[in-house]
Amino acid sequence: MTAMYLFLAAMLLPMLSGLFLLFFQGKLKNRTLKCILIFLVMALTAGLTVRLMCFEDYQLVLWHLTDKLDILVRMDNMTRLFAGMTVTAWTLGGVFAFEYMKHEEKEDRYFGFYLIVMGVLIGLDHAGNLITLYLFFELMTLSSLPLVLHTLTHDAVMAGLKYLFYSVAGAFLALFGIFYLYAHGAGLPFCEGGYLMVLDAYSGSGKMTLLVLMLMIVGFGTKAGMFPLHGWLPTAHPVAPAPASAVLSGIITKSGVLAIIRVVFYTVGADVLRGSWVQYTWMTLALITVFMGSMMAYKEQVLKKRLAYSTVSQVSYILFGLSVLNQDGMVGALSHFVFHSVVKDCLFLVAGVIIYKTGKKTVKELTGIGKEMPITMWCFTLVSITLVGIPPTSGFISKWYLAEGSLQTGIGGYAWFGPVVLLLSAMLTAGYLLPISIQSFFPGEGYHYQELRKKEPNLLMLIPMLLFTAAAVVFGMFPGRFLGFLQMTAADVIR
Amino acid sequence: MNLARNFVENFPCFSIVLCMVAGILSTPIKGNHAKRITLLVVILVTCMSAATFLYVVSTGTSFVYTMGKYPAPWGNEIRAGVLETMLATVFSLVMLFSLLGGMDHVFKDIPEEKINLYFILVDLLLSSLLAIIYTNDLFTGYVFVEINTIAACGMIMIRKIGRSLVAATRYMVMSLIGSGLFLIGLAMLYDITGHLLMENAHLVMNQLVQEGKYSVPLLVIISFITVGLAIKSGLYPFHSWMPDAYGYSTVSSSSILSSLVSKSYIILLIKIFYRVIGFDNIVNSKIVDVLFVFGLAGMVMGSVGAIMAKDIYRMIAFSSVAQIGYVYMGIGLETEAGMVAAIFHILTHAITKSLLFLAAKGLNNVSGRKRVFYALQGSAFRNPLAGVAFLVGSLSMVGIPMLSGFISKLLFATAALGAAREKVLITLIVLAVSTILNAIYFLHTVVRIYTPVHVPEEFKNVHVRVSKGAALAVFSLICMNFILGLLSQPITDLIQVGIAMFA
Repeated sequence: MTAMYLFLAAMLLPMLSGLFLLFFQGKLKNRTLKCILIFLVMALTAGLTVRLMCFEDYQLVLWHLTDKLDILVRMDNMTRLFAGMTVTAWTLGGVFAFEYMKHEEKEDRYFGFYLIVMGVLIGLDHAGNLITLYLFFELMTLSSLPLVLHTLTHDAVMAGLKYLFYSVAGAFLALFGIFYLYAHGAGLPFCEGGYLMVLDAYSGSGKMTLLVLMLMIVGFGTKAGMFPLHGWLPTAHPVAPAPASAVLSGIITKSGVLAIIRVVFYTVGADVLRGSWVQYTWMTLALITVFMGSMMAYKEQVLKKRLAYSTVSQVSYILFGLSVLNQDGMVGALSHFVFHSVVKDCLFLVAGVIIYKTGKKTVKELTGIGKEMPITMWCFTLVSITLVGIPPTSGFISKWYLAEGSLQTGIGGYAWFGPVVLLLSAMLTAGYLLPISIQSFFPGEGYHYQELRKKEPNLLMLIPMLLFTAAAVVFGMFPGRFLGFLQMTAADVIR
Repeated sequence: MNLARNFVENFPCFSIVLCMVAGILSTPIKGNHAKRITLLVVILVTCMSAATFLYVVSTGTSFVYTMGKYPAPWGNEIRAGVLETMLATVFSLVMLFSLLGGMDHVFKDIPEEKINLYFILVDLLLSSLLAIIYTNDLFTGYVFVEINTIAACGMIMIRKIGRSLVAATRYMVMSLIGSGLFLIGLAMLYDITGHLLMENAHLVMNQLVQEGKYSVPLLVIISFITVGLAIKSGLYPFHSWMPDAYGYSTVSSSSILSSLVSKSYIILLIKIFYRVIGFDNIVNSKIVDVLFVFGLAGMVMGSVGAIMAKDIYRMIAFSSVAQIGYVYMGIGLETEAGMVAAIFHILTHAITKSLLFLAAKGLNNVSGRKRVFYALQGSAFRNPLAGVAFLVGSLSMVGIPMLSGFISKLLFATAALGAAREKVLITLIVLAVSTILNAIYFLHTVVRIYTPVHVPEEFKNVHVRVSKGAALAVFSLICMNFILGLLSQPITDLIQVGIAMFA
């Protein structure tokens, strides 16, 4: 019972505070006080979430929607992982925004929706069956839309609509899958390893189930930017204010990953898919996205867009890790989820600092910027190295497991083709991130050192970036306990 | 106690007569008084219907009320079961809220000397709606279908702007074709069976089917009745009158017409299916397959029309075309689950569509009375209540969980999965396509009304005071939407009980 109240508090506190902020926009004049209050709400939410994570696994019915259908929340290792990552990144992104949003208008609206999305995500991470998951998934799309729309320029509105249409189309593809599974008894709560195989109603409808699963993977994959429904991501993420782009890329895309995990490993069961055409198609789509995203990022000249394309590619690493359907792949995917969240949050924050301090947006303008803000660019460099996957940073570990998982599948071509694509993409990652560091620290002969002025941002911006960077590096050096946790989780769901 | 119980059995007939009396009383008096009488009558009817509903639920059986106490097979009968009373209650509630919500505009849109006429028409419409819902004999059904048409036509026409006259004429022509077909069907049915009371006709009908007599005329009867009522309810491709009729009449009229009038014909049709012809005979006649196909076509084409629409009323009107397609698709699935879904969707749509029309009017009001989308940019900030109402209505239509539209979709989808093999896949595909199209135009409009870019200067400082009645109406409709979404199980159970009572 305490868990129920704590959960409701953790979910409703940010939502209601957000609504309150929206309702009284511009009424609270003292900015410092407002920021402190917002921070307190986020910190309290984070605290409550962490407290919830300490409970034993539980399952709570919030509401009976119909006789066979409940709104249900649940605590398991997957919830712990995703909810923990969400509240951490969300709070740090919020702190960063206290400074960043000074140069944007209507910051009350931004923070209002920012808090609402935080509550919705906590609900999403705790969702205990497919309908609850879908409910929060849609709410997330709708409540995060204002973050994309924030500037209300023509571009932003168009990007927002694109985001909306792709997301909604994807979610409905998934919804009809949910209806289908529901008719076969899948209104039941999630369970490790899935339960569809043991249901009586399932027997004899294998082909249709596979088709439905493919649609669900593509549908939820929309949120994760998976080919062929990835088009919204590079448009929508860059138009949002930088801290919002950070969490959109770092956290919200991952909710698509969570949804796929819940469908495949907690409802249907990996055995249904293993060796079927769905698995091969899924692997292929993920690999196409990995390669294509990197290529596009390599060609892109606007920094935030380049980072968004990089997200397209990197999130599909995670999806690829899931699609191989074995424990090592799963560990690789989950660790890459955490590492990529950390890294991409940091990268977008750096891009935000650069825009905030200098207004520079394209890669070409960044020559010599490392001299002006060395700490910021050191963060950038370190997390870039992480994302490329150079040991001893954390990206190396996740990619190692991903390759391992791919090789274990024993599926003729894919077993070695997967790692090759991952390697190629890693090289491209190095190609589109490291030159930025190089030219920013080594501007070359044309650079006027006389005009050099320090532009390092203040602590509100530096601390989140430093923490993210530290996490990215430290996880790579001391991954033992964390990997142990992931291996335990993976062993639960894949047997 | 027993006396009190028996007294309740008079309520359905009372409410029909009461509406008519109110209409007569309103003839010589001024508009303002007519308004009060009408509101009072609607409230009374709501209470009486609710009382009958509770009575029927508590007894667990339906009852038949013979007018003038002529025994069967003569005389006119009305019949009240769970489904009828529930629909009557919801319909009169929606009627009340539509009137309250659009009251200010009734007085603005309609010439002063005609206002009492408007309320007379509303009274007549309500009485005919109730009679169509309650009727147990075909002749009463037909009479009130005609009264319904005339009242509805008057409600469209009374606004006296050019387009509304055209719209009313179109509506009249389409409706009369429908009634004509329906009448021919009834005449032939009477010819064959010799009865107008539903039960007696049903008995003879079963006998005829068993003996294999009159199979061709029976098919003709079924098709005429079905097609006639389908035309009247605006099933695609007989929908061409809808956008104008809903778009150019005063807002109460459009909301009543779209959410109640077109639905009443569907209810009559369902009743005839179950109580006169017999559902098995209908299924064997394959006529539901025709409804199924046109329903599917309507789901897609209505949504496409809504996407192409340039103004908000046409968009909502075309969305009605799509929603009626959903209902017929549910009927066409030929299963009980499909029928439950269809009836649930009738409730959903009645509540949501009236909410959407009221909201659209509120938004249009703060945008210089322009209905095109570009004028509506950011209008939700100028009229927050209408904005929220439109948001809730849209999200419900799109199918977000916890709102009534989601339960409709869930019921349709589960019904489709239990239907005949060849219908499963096509239904699911069309349902998915239509849902996505739905989302496109509704959410696009939501984004439009919430993004204040390119707002013309003269609208910037417009703020509208919403009258208490309108606020109450909108608020109640929003609440009803949530109730249907959150507490759907008892309602679907009741619908099932009601359908079982039809047999």
